[in-house]
Amino acid sequence: MAAGDIALRPAEALAGGASLERGLVEECCRGDAQAFARLVALHEGMVFNLAARLLGDAEEARDLAQEVFLQVYRTLGRFEGRSTLKTWIYRIVVNQCRNRRRWWRRRRKDRSRSLETLTRSEEERLAEGSGRMEGPDERVERRERARAVQSALQRLSFGHRAVLLLREVEGLSCEEIAAALALPEGTVKSRLSRARESLRRALTDGKEAAP
Amino acid sequence: MTCGQVRKRLSEYMDGELGVRPARALTGHLEACPSCGGRWRSLRTALEALAEAPRLEPREPIAARVLDRLEVESRGPGLALLFRPFWKTRPLIFPSLLPAAALLVVVLAAALALDRDAEPLPTVITRGAEWGPTGPSGTESNPLFLSSEVSAPRVRTAAPITADLMVALGEEPLFVETVVARDGSVSTVTLLDGDSQQAGPLLEALRRQRFEPGRRNGRPVAVSLYRLISRMEVRPPIT
Repeated sequence: MAAGDIALRPAEALAGGASLERGLVEECCRGDAQAFARLVALHEGMVFNLAARLLGDAEEARDLAQEVFLQVYRTLGRFEGRSTLKTWIYRIVVNQCRNRRRWWRRRRKDRSRSLETLTRSEEERLAEGSGRMEGPDERVERRERARAVQSALQRLSFGHRAVLLLREVEGLSCEEIAAALALPEGTVKSRLSRARESLRRALTDGKEAAP
Repeated sequence: MTCGQVRKRLSEYMDGELGVRPARALTGHLEACPSCGGRWRSLRTALEALAEAPRLEPREPIAARVLDRLEVESRGPGLALLFRPFWKTRPLIFPSLLPAAALLVVVLAAALALDRDAEPLPTVITRGAEWGPTGPSGTESNPLFLSSEVSAPRVRTAAPITADLMVALGEEPLFVETVVARDGSVSTVTLLDGDSQQAGPLLEALRRQRFEPGRRNGRPVAVSLYRLISRMEVRPPIT
């Protein structure tokens, strides 16, 4: 499999439909490297963003994203199409992030370094601007808001953070989140309600968010 | 609708999952209650801030790295190459050993065949008991010799040594070792020098002797006695 001749087709959106997705999966299962490269290119942004927000560490997120796609490649044959490929990949991301956090906890990894790493990465991204003209004050304000949001997210429990990100950032429905996290839909809804309230409290009064 | 009920249902209200009536009642409460209204606004602000947070993008495409890793994995065993079994690292070692093994078998068989008619080796008889492990000092198997610390056994009862026994002894003296056991009996009588056939009855008489055992520090110990026995004829002077 040559890495140098990947023909990426970014316009190949996920909204392309189930048939497009099914075709892509079948091509990947037949060992088509080009097809797998397209699959990775389609989902890598989503995987990296979710992993970085869940872990609070851009470097770790980059490494984890590779692991996620390796797992996708190895287990794609077991994908039955009961959920969308995107939901299936979300599930792998969340599971791998959870495992990595457990690994950190066992080794007492210092989390403060992780937060710092993400903030720096985020600021680089922010420095590129939002695509519209904005003044320096507006830019500073936006940067502060983004930093506050990430800081508040890190104060939530992993379960709350996962539900909140899948819902508010990735735009999944409660049904899709339930499929991605292997939880009953009712549990997702109650967890989402508590996670929203925790984020509100963390952002408004700066108090410690409830776990 | 109370403030507590409203706050519990804000998430559902936000997702539009409340029915028309509860939604209307909740809207009315939010407009009328400054506390709940403020909470609703702060919740929306928080979630908008989260939704508007910039999407983080990897600095370089992940696809290329993933494909590189898959290519490395597909190349071959990698580290497994170092940990292969011995016979896989040297597949010809066993076939090459077969002729050598066959030759060795032939040589050994020939040597055995030629050796069959050879003279049998002489039988070596050893008196193992004499060289075997000895017991603790002062016991019957390891008796003490007489010394300043070891008192000599004294004869308590002795079988009569008749003149016949002495006559049978002949002219030659006997050198005899007697081991007197800790209970005073004679455990061993060994003829060290002399005619054993002539000395037989005398040695038997010595074996039946009983002693007051020898002692060391007041405790009875087995003692080895060496005796030189010879016959002397005493005749009246010739007048």
